[in-house]
Amino acid sequence: MTEEQALGISRHCIPFTPFKGRLEEAAVCLVSTAGVRLLSQPAFDTRHELGHRVIPGDATSAQLTVDDTHYDHACVDQDRNCVFPIDRLRELAAEGRVGALTESHFATAYTQQLRDFAAFTAVRLAVEVAAQRPHAVLLTGG
Amino acid sequence: MQRAIEMQGIPTVFITAEPEETEQARPPRALAPRGFAPGHSLGPAGNPALQRRVLLDALLLLTGPPRPGEVVVGEYG
Repeated sequence: MTEEQALGISRHCIPFTPFKGRLEEAAVCLVSTAGVRLLSQPAFDTRHELGHRVIPGDATSAQLTVDDTHYDHACVDQDRNCVFPIDRLRELAAEGRVGALTESHFATAYTQQLRDFAAFTAVRLAVEVAAQRPHAVLLTGG
Repeated sequence: MQRAIEMQGIPTVFITAEPEETEQARPPRALAPRGFAPGHSLGPAGNPALQRRVLLDALLLLTGPPRPGEVVVGEYG
């Protein structure tokens, strides 16, 4: 059971947290469902995966790979920023357009068991994301 | 995933290549670059300038007028 279900929150409700402060001072965390991980980490199961990977904030796109068989890889095989823009975000931080990147970022992968994903993976991962104390989170899919 | 993070009190924005599907999920903030396909959410490989534009446009949804439930379409030529 998800937290929303436990609280009796309608699926029509749109959870919305206002952004406070300035983007130029914000720590931003990347979260992706595109199956991204470090080359050194265990591969995601491309058929069904409820786990996640933690990607260090100082990782470059060259240190990343993708485990996925559900979207076109013509772009991402050449440039992980197509789905996980960590280099681009770092550049924006260097230019002062955003404040910083969080120490860790996160990625999940493909599953069709969406109830389990919502009830377990998303809830658990959201707590880990919160521990990074981001001012904002940017999410990407595949 | 986005809903779970928002419920932790953290503002989020989603870059999506599947706007219809995303709209059904009623996102707090979402940017859909027009014509971009899954696997190319921020545009093609080897075009960092475009990737930066998409990324910045998405992040600026955090500071713009609230549009919860709406998927904002971005035009990138």
